[in-house]
Amino acid sequence: MKTPSSLEELVEALRRLPGVGPKSAQRMAYHLLQHDREGAQRLAKSLGEAVERVRHCDKCNNFAEQPLCELCSSTRRDASVLCVVEMPGDVAMMEQAQAYRGLYFVLLGRLSPLDGIGPKEINLDRLVKRATDGEVKEVIIATNFTVEGEATAHYIAEMLTARGLKVTRIARGLPVGGELEHVDSGTLAQSVIERRPVD
Amino acid sequence: MAASQRKLQEPQPAFVLHTYPYRETSLIVEAFTRHHGRIGLLAKGARRPKSALRGTLLAFQPLLIQWGGRGELRGLHSAEWQGGVPQLKGIGLMSGFYLNELLLRFLHRDDPHEGLFDLYAEAVSALATNTRIAATLRRFEKFLLGELGYALTLDTEAGSNNPVDPGASYTYVIEKGPVQIRSGDNPTIELSGKTLIDLSSDNYEDPVTLSQSKLLMRHLVGHYLGSRSLHTRQFLVELQQI
Ligand SMILES: [Zn+2]
Repeated sequence: MKTPSSLEELVEALRRLPGVGPKSAQRMAYHLLQHDREGAQRLAKSLGEAVERVRHCDKCNNFAEQPLCELCSSTRRDASVLCVVEMPGDVAMMEQAQAYRGLYFVLLGRLSPLDGIGPKEINLDRLVKRATDGEVKEVIIATNFTVEGEATAHYIAEMLTARGLKVTRIARGLPVGGELEHVDSGTLAQSVIERRPVD
Repeated sequence: MAASQRKLQEPQPAFVLHTYPYRETSLIVEAFTRHHGRIGLLAKGARRPKSALRGTLLAFQPLLIQWGGRGELRGLHSAEWQGGVPQLKGIGLMSGFYLNELLLRFLHRDDPHEGLFDLYAEAVSALATNTRIAATLRRFEKFLLGELGYALTLDTEAGSNNPVDPGASYTYVIEKGPVQIRSGDNPTIELSGKTLIDLSSDNYEDPVTLSQSKLLMRHLVGHYLGSRSLHTRQFLVELQQI
C-alpha cells in the first residue's frame, strides 16, 4: 500500500470541485505547482480562512462572517418586507436593480421533487421562523421561473399565508425594452396567459 | 455512418420530463416522445443566457423536437414550442412531477408507448386547470400499469368469470384480482364492488371511489416499484410536517 504523494492528494482534492474531472484536476495541479506557486499559496490561505470564517447569517441564511450579515444589520432597510431568493447571486442582482429596500432570505437551493430535494434540504423551517418573527408583514417570493422555482414558490406561499402573512410573487413577462420578435415562445405564451388590464 | 448521422427525422411530438445541468452551459434532457418513448438528449448551450431553448425546454409543455445520433444520449437539434397548455402551478404542478417520476422510473429507454403519450398529454392539460386532479392521476396510473403489462382485473372476481358484486366488499390480490372479504379477514386493501366497477370504466364521480382507488393504486404502484420509493411522494409527506 503506497500512501498518496502530496501531488496525488492535491489532484484528488481538486476533483471535489463541481465539473472537475481527473484530467482537469491534474492540469490545475501542474499549473499551480509549475507556473504559479504564489497563486497556489494565496489559494491555500484564502480557502483556509474562508472555511474558518464564513458561516450563515442568522437572519437571512446568506454567507456571512458575523452572526448577522451587512444587509441584515443595516438600519436603512425596510424590515417589514422579506424577499425570498434561491441563491446569493440573486441578492446581488436584486440589489443592482435598486427597486427593493427590504430584507432577504436566501434558500441556497430550491425544492426539486424529482431529485429528492425536499423542504429539509433547503431550510424551509428556518424561513418560516424568520418570516413569523413579528417584524415581517409581506413576503415577496423571487425564486426562479423554472418548474422547480415555481414548486418552491407555491409551497412557501402555502406555508406563509396559512400563518397570516401577505405573500406576493415577482411578475414574469417580456423583458423591459424587449421586442416581441426576439422573445422565446414560452415567455410570450405565459405573458398572454398572465396579461393584465392596462391602467 | 455519416449518412445515418446526417439524416434528421421529422420533428417528433415530445415532452420534457426532467433536465439536469451538464458542464457550464448545457443540459441533459430526459424526454418522453410519442414515437420513440423515453430518450436522453444533450442540449448543448441550452443554459446560455441568450439561448432560445431556455424558455422552450420546459416540463409539461408540448414540443416538437429533432435530434441526431444514437446511443444513450442523442444530440438535440431543435425544440419547437407547440403551446396551448398554461404552465402548471400549485397542486397541479406537484401532480405533474409525480407523473414524470412514474414515467422516469417505469419506462425503459427507446420503448414507445403512443397511447400512454396521448393520455399523458391529456393529463397535463387537465392538471393545468387544477381541477379533477385525483381522477386524472388514477386514470393515468391504471393505464400505465396496463401498458407495462400489469393490466388490472377489476370487474370480475379473481380466478373466475363471476362479475364483481357492487354491494360486496373486496380486497385486491396483486396479479390475480378482486377477492371477496370474509368475516374475520383483516386485509390492508378494502374496496367496495362499486369502486372496482367504477374504476374499470374510469368513472371517478363518487368520492368513495376516489379515496378507495387512491389506496389501491398506491399499493400497486409501490408493489411494482419494489423497494425504490418515489421522491415525489416522500416530498409531500415532508411538506406536511413543516
Ligand atoms: Zn443576513
